[in-house]
Amino acid sequence: MPAPVMNSGPADRAPAAAGLGRRFTGFGTHRSRPHRPAGDWRTNRLAYAMVAPAFLFMVMVHLVPMLQGVAMSFLQLNQFTLRQFLGAPFVGLANYRAILFDPENPVRAGLAVAARNTAIFSTVVTVLVLATALGVALLMNRNFRGRALVRTLMLLPWVVPSYVVGILWSYMWHRDTGIINRILVDWLHLLPEKPFWLMGPNTLWAIILPTVWRAWPYVFIVFLAALQTIPGDLYEAAAIDGAGPWQRFRHITLPMLRPAIAIQLLFQIIQSVYAFNIVVMMFGNGSGYAGEWGDLLMIAIQRQSFQSWLFGYGAAASVLLMLAMMGVVALWYRIFRQELIIR
Amino acid sequence: MAKWSRTLGLLLSLMMLVAGCGSSQPSGGGGEPAGSGGPQSPPTSGTQPQPPATPAPSGRTTLQMWIMPNTTQSEQDMVALLQPFMAEHNVDVQVTVIDWSSAWTRITAAATSGEGPDLLQLGTTWVPAIAAMGALEPLGGKVAEIGGADAFYPASWNTVSIAGDSEVYAVPWFVDVRAAYYRTDVFQKAGVDPQEAFRDWESFKAALHQINGTEIEGRPVAAIGFPGKNDWNVAHNVMPWVWGAGGSELSADLRSSAINSEAALEGVMFYTGLVREGLVPPGVLEKNTSDAEMAFHTGEFAVFFNGPWMVSQYTRPESENGHADKIAAKNYAVAPIPEGPEGRYTFFGGSNLAIFNTSRNKELSWELLKFLVGKEAQMAYGEMAGMLPALRSLEPDMVALNPNFGPFYEAARYGRSYASIPQWGPVETAYTKHFSTIWDLTAGVSGTYSREAVKQVLDEAAREANSLLNQ
Repeated sequence: MPAPVMNSGPADRAPAAAGLGRRFTGFGTHRSRPHRPAGDWRTNRLAYAMVAPAFLFMVMVHLVPMLQGVAMSFLQLNQFTLRQFLGAPFVGLANYRAILFDPENPVRAGLAVAARNTAIFSTVVTVLVLATALGVALLMNRNFRGRALVRTLMLLPWVVPSYVVGILWSYMWHRDTGIINRILVDWLHLLPEKPFWLMGPNTLWAIILPTVWRAWPYVFIVFLAALQTIPGDLYEAAAIDGAGPWQRFRHITLPMLRPAIAIQLLFQIIQSVYAFNIVVMMFGNGSGYAGEWGDLLMIAIQRQSFQSWLFGYGAAASVLLMLAMMGVVALWYRIFRQELIIR
Repeated sequence: MAKWSRTLGLLLSLMMLVAGCGSSQPSGGGGEPAGSGGPQSPPTSGTQPQPPATPAPSGRTTLQMWIMPNTTQSEQDMVALLQPFMAEHNVDVQVTVIDWSSAWTRITAAATSGEGPDLLQLGTTWVPAIAAMGALEPLGGKVAEIGGADAFYPASWNTVSIAGDSEVYAVPWFVDVRAAYYRTDVFQKAGVDPQEAFRDWESFKAALHQINGTEIEGRPVAAIGFPGKNDWNVAHNVMPWVWGAGGSELSADLRSSAINSEAALEGVMFYTGLVREGLVPPGVLEKNTSDAEMAFHTGEFAVFFNGPWMVSQYTRPESENGHADKIAAKNYAVAPIPEGPEGRYTFFGGSNLAIFNTSRNKELSWELLKFLVGKEAQMAYGEMAGMLPALRSLEPDMVALNPNFGPFYEAARYGRSYASIPQWGPVETAYTKHFSTIWDLTAGVSGTYSREAVKQVLDEAAREANSLLNQ
């Protein structure tokens, strides 16, 4: 399948791109270990041998298609040259120039709107997901009857396939018949009249909430696991020293959770920037246009590539997005590198 | 209690793990084909092609055939239909059903790599694009065997070649054409004569005003409903009004867009005006075609433009995926689309059959194609798919089967298919996107609806289409 840049799983690729694959230690492991000189080939021989097949596989399914995608971005690859594929006319940076600087290029206008929406969407989704997950994890990190059951039930949204989430929520958002307007307007009387959710500026909310709904349980489970590794005596000691609940949270819980938060922050940013399924299923099953407030980058790129058959532009836009994401990962790494190093 | 809940929790977690493993499939490529005139229902679960129905026993020739989900049990229905052919020619046909949303990607990939089926279904507007890629076997020398152009409707035959090139690359299989379903009880109660109502735009609008809000069983019924932007028919719904006003999708030389012409604007203003005049329940504008169908079935509005499949659905009970028990099924008739100031037009689409030129069994594939456009297979499959058979000669049989097919045959005569150029798909995508913006304006959720505002959006649509046509 052509245009693989957008197909290879970004969530797997991005951390490796920042070169932290071999240093990442998992969540909350701060205990020090005897230091081993780096590059000790002999001691690690078995480990390298075990990793090799997976590494080769990753090269095959990620790196090769990715390089192919980069190559495509320099070609005039459209419906007439598609059959020549990588033999299509080479146009250098023309695709990039058109996307970035050509005001007459309609592709560019669409991408700008999608980029704005993606920025808002990703920020809000990431903040809401992390906040909800953290809040609920704190609540669930106590002993009470039926805790295991409640905890498991909370995972439910996460197991619903994302395209089903899209279809389900599209029914819930319907103006006249949807449950959301029924609750907001008919039952709670919060709004004077039923608003449209799947048309106009409200579409942004209509795609944010289902995404958060599906994403938070996984983060919650990770946070809960991390919370349970915090030794109870830390809290006891702090309490004896007179620390209140807020101070205990601020000075014990939060610092101990930082590694988990760091990883989840990165994953959420990456996942929401590359969001696709839910949005596509909510607006005409992929053939509609989500509108000026619902169009996201991946969807715009997919439309350019597979519906308008401008594969060269699509690949160039994908590469630009990938570079931008590498920048985000690098920034993230600078901020959180301390959390990721074994001390 | 605690132990019990822990056991249950564990069990649930295990279930979820299992469910979760299979849960995160991407939904594949994008959406309904531009202008396929495609399916009446949204793509269902996932987009993975189903495995071939019959494993080939060694020794017999096997033909590969790709189709889209045209019937409720697409694969079994097709295999059953092909039994006589397989027996007669001692051949196996492996039927692969591809979802509409991934079909385009799969077919272009097949056309690019040369690894494709022998025979395949193509949405009518895809033919020029795939043919321009050089992937389809020219059939011009053979079509006389099936009656040539005269055996089919002109709008159908328009879609089997590339505009300006007389070679034939496909054969019409079935036809999707739109007409007006209306509620006879509502018209009767409001005292409106349907004949008069669907005569022209003027009389149509007047009639809609008259029937708007008529109460049936104590419930007011709105005049008319149609989907807005969240749909796979966005362009097909708007274009008949553009044509009726004398507009066109492209200029006469097919080199540039004509969607921002005065006439096109006139058509768009009339169609969206029905919403502005309160004849359409606003909620339907955010629905897709299949949700809007359901709203018509249950009596939300009295007029609905749609394809012939609802005629079949209204004869079948719910247990067979039909709607015979719904209020609309018991009180409906079909009328032509009202005539515009410059003529009567409706959307004409459907699907064609083509042979990949990499097929190793072209002769046999042609035999299979001939079988599928033969009278018996056409009649049987048209009935199963709820579409009109492409063969003109079957018109009397279909109308005898159900008189409500009559207006659709009439529509097939005044129906119009899009310009048959390779770039139509991209152009339609651009139009769809901008029509969506117009629906947002019309619903009053962003910007201000006015003639100038709509014109501005159409100008942008034309600009985008022109840049696609000029590449």
